[in-house]
Amino acid sequence: MTGYAMASALLTPELLRRLEQFQLLAARRAKSSLRGERRSRARGQSVEFADYRNYVAGDDFRYLDWNLFGRLDRLFLKLYEEERELPVTIFLDASESMAFGEPRKFDFARQVAAAVGYVALCGFDRVSILPFPDNPEEAAARGALRSVRGRKSALQFFQNINQLSAGGSASFNETLRRGALQARRAGLAVVLSDFLDPAGYDPGLTALVGRGFQISAVQILAPEELNPSTYGDLRLIDSETGAQQEVTFGKYRLNAYRQTVENFCQTLREYCQKRGINFFRAGSDTSLEQLLLKQLREAEVWG
Amino acid sequence: MNFLAPAALLFAAAIPVVILFYLLKRKRVVRLVSSTLLWQKFLAETQASAPFQRLRHNWLLVLQIIMLTLAILALARPYFAGKVTGGRLQVVILDASASMQSTDESPSRFEKARGEAFKLVDSLRDTDQMVVLQAAAHTDVKQSATSEKSALRRAIQSATVTDSTTRLNEALKMAESLTRDNNDAEVHLFSDGAAPGMKELENKGLRLVYHRVGLGANNLGIVSLDVRPNPENPDQRAIFSSVANFFPDEQKTEVELLFDGQLIEAKALTIPPTNTTPVVFLAAQPHDGVFTVRLTAKDDLKADNQASIVSLLPLPVKILLVTQGNRFLEKALKSAGKVELAVASSLTEEKPDCDLVVLDDVVPGVWPSLNMLAIRTMNTNWFESAGEVEGPAIVDWRAAHPLSRFVTFDNVQIAKALTVKTPSWAVAVVDSPQTPLVLAGELARQRIVWLAFDTVESTWPLRISFPIFIANAVDWLNPAAVQARQLTIPAGNPFRNALAEPATSAQVTLPDGSSRELVVDSTAREVVFGETEKAGIYRLAIGTNQIVFAANLLDAAESDTRPREELDFGKFGSVTATTLRRANLELWRWIAAAGLIVLLFEWWYYHKRTA
Repeated sequence: MTGYAMASALLTPELLRRLEQFQLLAARRAKSSLRGERRSRARGQSVEFADYRNYVAGDDFRYLDWNLFGRLDRLFLKLYEEERELPVTIFLDASESMAFGEPRKFDFARQVAAAVGYVALCGFDRVSILPFPDNPEEAAARGALRSVRGRKSALQFFQNINQLSAGGSASFNETLRRGALQARRAGLAVVLSDFLDPAGYDPGLTALVGRGFQISAVQILAPEELNPSTYGDLRLIDSETGAQQEVTFGKYRLNAYRQTVENFCQTLREYCQKRGINFFRAGSDTSLEQLLLKQLREAEVWG
Repeated sequence: MNFLAPAALLFAAAIPVVILFYLLKRKRVVRLVSSTLLWQKFLAETQASAPFQRLRHNWLLVLQIIMLTLAILALARPYFAGKVTGGRLQVVILDASASMQSTDESPSRFEKARGEAFKLVDSLRDTDQMVVLQAAAHTDVKQSATSEKSALRRAIQSATVTDSTTRLNEALKMAESLTRDNNDAEVHLFSDGAAPGMKELENKGLRLVYHRVGLGANNLGIVSLDVRPNPENPDQRAIFSSVANFFPDEQKTEVELLFDGQLIEAKALTIPPTNTTPVVFLAAQPHDGVFTVRLTAKDDLKADNQASIVSLLPLPVKILLVTQGNRFLEKALKSAGKVELAVASSLTEEKPDCDLVVLDDVVPGVWPSLNMLAIRTMNTNWFESAGEVEGPAIVDWRAAHPLSRFVTFDNVQIAKALTVKTPSWAVAVVDSPQTPLVLAGELARQRIVWLAFDTVESTWPLRISFPIFIANAVDWLNPAAVQARQLTIPAGNPFRNALAEPATSAQVTLPDGSSRELVVDSTAREVVFGETEKAGIYRLAIGTNQIVFAANLLDAAESDTRPREELDFGKFGSVTATTLRRANLELWRWIAAAGLIVLLFEWWYYHKRTA
């Protein structure tokens, strides 16, 4: 399989072409220590003038403002903003629950991850994809998805994403907290999950917010979850925990169930809004373009 | 407890089947889902609004098993073996007298009573037995003891109300004899209580339940009727009638007199409440016929608004006086209305040419077979023994007897009299401590008035009461008058008519126009017709003879339709109208049906929620 074929399995060339026009928008100045194309508070070498300061012995003559010296007969040094990179971390839920749905929620999540990663790569930002839970069999591919930089890496990036698979029981909060601690610099964080973790989502998101990440959360739900089509006396088994739940369910109670789902999503949405997190909800059967080209753009995740 | 059909208990095997169905129902389809988180939230939300959901499902199972158990038990027909195997006996007495026709209850008291009786039948247990009696002038057993409800309902349905008086005594006595050996027996009387006093009934522990029907008395009624010659004008007839008002207020009515259906006269009448007003009509009578008196006012009871009487033209009475000479008696007899008197000193024929014979202290050679007034003489087969008493004092006389009408025996002294014992065929009209002085009775179709003393040996012929008594005696002994009186009978009483010549068949036309054939025994000397429950004019045809007779209610006690709260049984107490339920109506069928409906509803509801 060639790289482009793999890439097109995730994202169509047409979509890739349109994504190239975007750049991730960072609300805050980049804090990375590495040079990049993002404005930062650090002063250094770039074309963007920032300030003046008095000359002290040892400063580089090249940055002296000779025009000013001519008028005032004093030496001033011109300071420039240093442009640095924006670290982008994508938390990708690869738990068993993401393997459900028609189309699969995980496939949708991978596409979103690939698209976000591609936009970041095009913008010379550093992209890390953190799939969770850990899967030793995919250690190589997962390792290669960390700190990817540069557009030329895109092909390899897509190939690695394609090798990911969903399985096992996720610990959402643990992963996010670890990711927040491990990041040397806070940047952009994208969380792709169904948020259906029995332990909730609050500790993980709080850890990210506390570390200073600018977060976008995308909740991906399968159509079956939004609109169940099985009725009768059911014994439901949780794919991740194995927990059993007996339910008697009929058309009569469908609205009540929908309301429950709506309440759950609404709680999550409000939670995110309070913490400045961009929240998106997408069914795994919604169009990718709709999410990427419209919703994310309107929310100014990129522009 | 035992079971009549224990094999039905095998149906209990169905109970595990029900449970099995439940197990099958509850078996759940296993489904793998991404996460049960949403479902848990969903259940938490919905269960909070319906906390009894699980419990209700369990109840369904419990209910079904209970219903099934009951059904199996019923199929097994359990019964309690014990002492009470016979069941109770209930005697229903339906009062079918005229007052039960009152329309103060809708549609009538009798229909109301019938409905109540039906309810009693409905409440009858399977082992109970019931007897249905219809009480009017005489008591009919409509249904002998049975527990078959359809037969009882048929019997009650077949009961019909009559125009006759109530004789509850007879019915109660019959009920008493029916229930004598049955301690649990109950007598249910459905009546308005408008019946003559039952003081004679010795109600010994009769378990009588009195179901009173009737709301109030709004009734005008003719309570008496008689026809006599007008004393002032022998060509006219005087019709004596009295109308009673049982309304609580004053009533106005018209009283009409009809002769053979032709209106002769009408009088307006105003009657104060609870009063009886006499009405006298004077009318010429050209031939034998029927006088009818009619009330035009509207009231609740129609049966007593009309009464008829058969009036025959008076013929002279032929009297043969056999005497040694008694001018007082001769004069008294001559003044007793239209009389053709013949006097003789002895009698040798058995059937002399006369209507009645007077024997004045003579012993005839041949005893006549006619009605007779016998003075101090007697046939040997009349009394047991005879002696003589000096100066017996008159202590009492029967004022209600026709013979002593308008007669008092004050100031009558008697020198001596024969002493006899009152025989069974006669009643003592006048009594002294030693002997009856005047006896009257009927022996072998022969009416006899017997005086124990010679009138000339007493002060009686000098008293005004003597000619009145003689006139009464002539009237009472006159066969034509006797027969005329027999032509008017109380409704419900049998009509008797002596046959002049043997007949084999007769036909009676009832007041409603229908007719009945009577078979007469060729040796019988009289014809009897019993179907006289309806008031009105009956026509009897025997051979070439046409006899008209009238049946009337003419009973003040029956016309007084006020419902009685209490029936008086003389010194043995009384019974009060009951308002209690007549029996424990069995409700289990309805409860079971309701339970079944609830069960069906539950199922429907359950399926509606889960479908």
